[in-house]
Amino acid sequence: MSLHPDVRMNLARSTVLLIDDNEQALEVLSSIFRGFGVHRQVKCRSAAEAQSILSHREIDLIICDTAMPDMDGYDFVRWLRRDAPAEANFLPIIMLTGHAARSTVESSRDCGANFIVSKPFTPEVLLQRIYWVAKDERAMVRSDSYVGPDRRFRNMGPPLGVKGRRKDDLSAHIGAAKDPNMDQDEIDMLLKPQRAAL
Amino acid sequence: MSDAEVFKVKNRLAQHVVEPGGMTAGMANTRAARELAAQQGKSYEAIGETLETLEWLCQDKSAPMDSVYDLSTSVLDIAGLFDDKLLCRAAYSLCELADKLRTQDREDWASIKVHVDGMRLIWNTEESGREALSAMVDGLWALTERLQIVEPDAPEGEQPAA
Repeated sequence: MSLHPDVRMNLARSTVLLIDDNEQALEVLSSIFRGFGVHRQVKCRSAAEAQSILSHREIDLIICDTAMPDMDGYDFVRWLRRDAPAEANFLPIIMLTGHAARSTVESSRDCGANFIVSKPFTPEVLLQRIYWVAKDERAMVRSDSYVGPDRRFRNMGPPLGVKGRRKDDLSAHIGAAKDPNMDQDEIDMLLKPQRAAL
Repeated sequence: MSDAEVFKVKNRLAQHVVEPGGMTAGMANTRAARELAAQQGKSYEAIGETLETLEWLCQDKSAPMDSVYDLSTSVLDIAGLFDDKLLCRAAYSLCELADKLRTQDREDWASIKVHVDGMRLIWNTEESGREALSAMVDGLWALTERLQIVEPDAPEGEQPAA
């Protein structure tokens, strides 16, 4: 289910905003992104700090822990999608979650993040989600009750080069036709009722 | 209520990832694993300190359940980045327990202590010897699941078994 090891991606020019109130977890997260080749990292220990960064810095991807004091990750995403500076409203955001507390279940569902990754996870899983977010073709939805990626998943399949989670997942990229088009008689034959001999 | 707007947004990340250069996913994962390994010692030291605080709370028995929840979340936060499944399962069980207890405005330090002792045992055990501890973590979950949530409008007499 992880990305094919030969898939090439360039994160060297991307600026990633990492938000986690736990100092050690933030360091570890930063080291994972260093491994991915992300040189431009902005680390924040709180959602409030991240709000201030977004007002004057261009960011390409946000990685945010869900459980934080004062403003939690879900409220931060809700702020981002509705009240952040316009150029930041629809930034891709991946949430990292440990425990789903009872009080946050509903807010996590409707917060508007692109992906939520549950801990524990491996760097492979995180890299795959980053790739998916980059290739995400979903439209954005803005309504009274929800702002974020369209949650009505169509059967688009996984991006090219990525194995699906189910064995019958097929990519929407079907490529060029290999055989000549069928003529009308052949199509009619396919649709024509046939008498079955029992 | 107004109609929902549906629109496409250009994603700068998408433009960057396809730029020439970069590295393969295989190489990125290997490099990330190397960086993670370099952080492991300091991170597990931090987990050890958190467990020490939890052990102290179990002796003192006066802290609010929010503190227990926050500390167990902190263990989960760090261990989760190292894909430490066993320690995460134990920490998750303690999060769940503390979350249930605070929802009901209750305390159960004996169950919390069993969790903290279990997490300390996992923390002290080398990766190779951890398989035997899986049953112990199942036991922690059984303990947490025993504590039922009382709905606010539940009729009298339907109290949870503590």
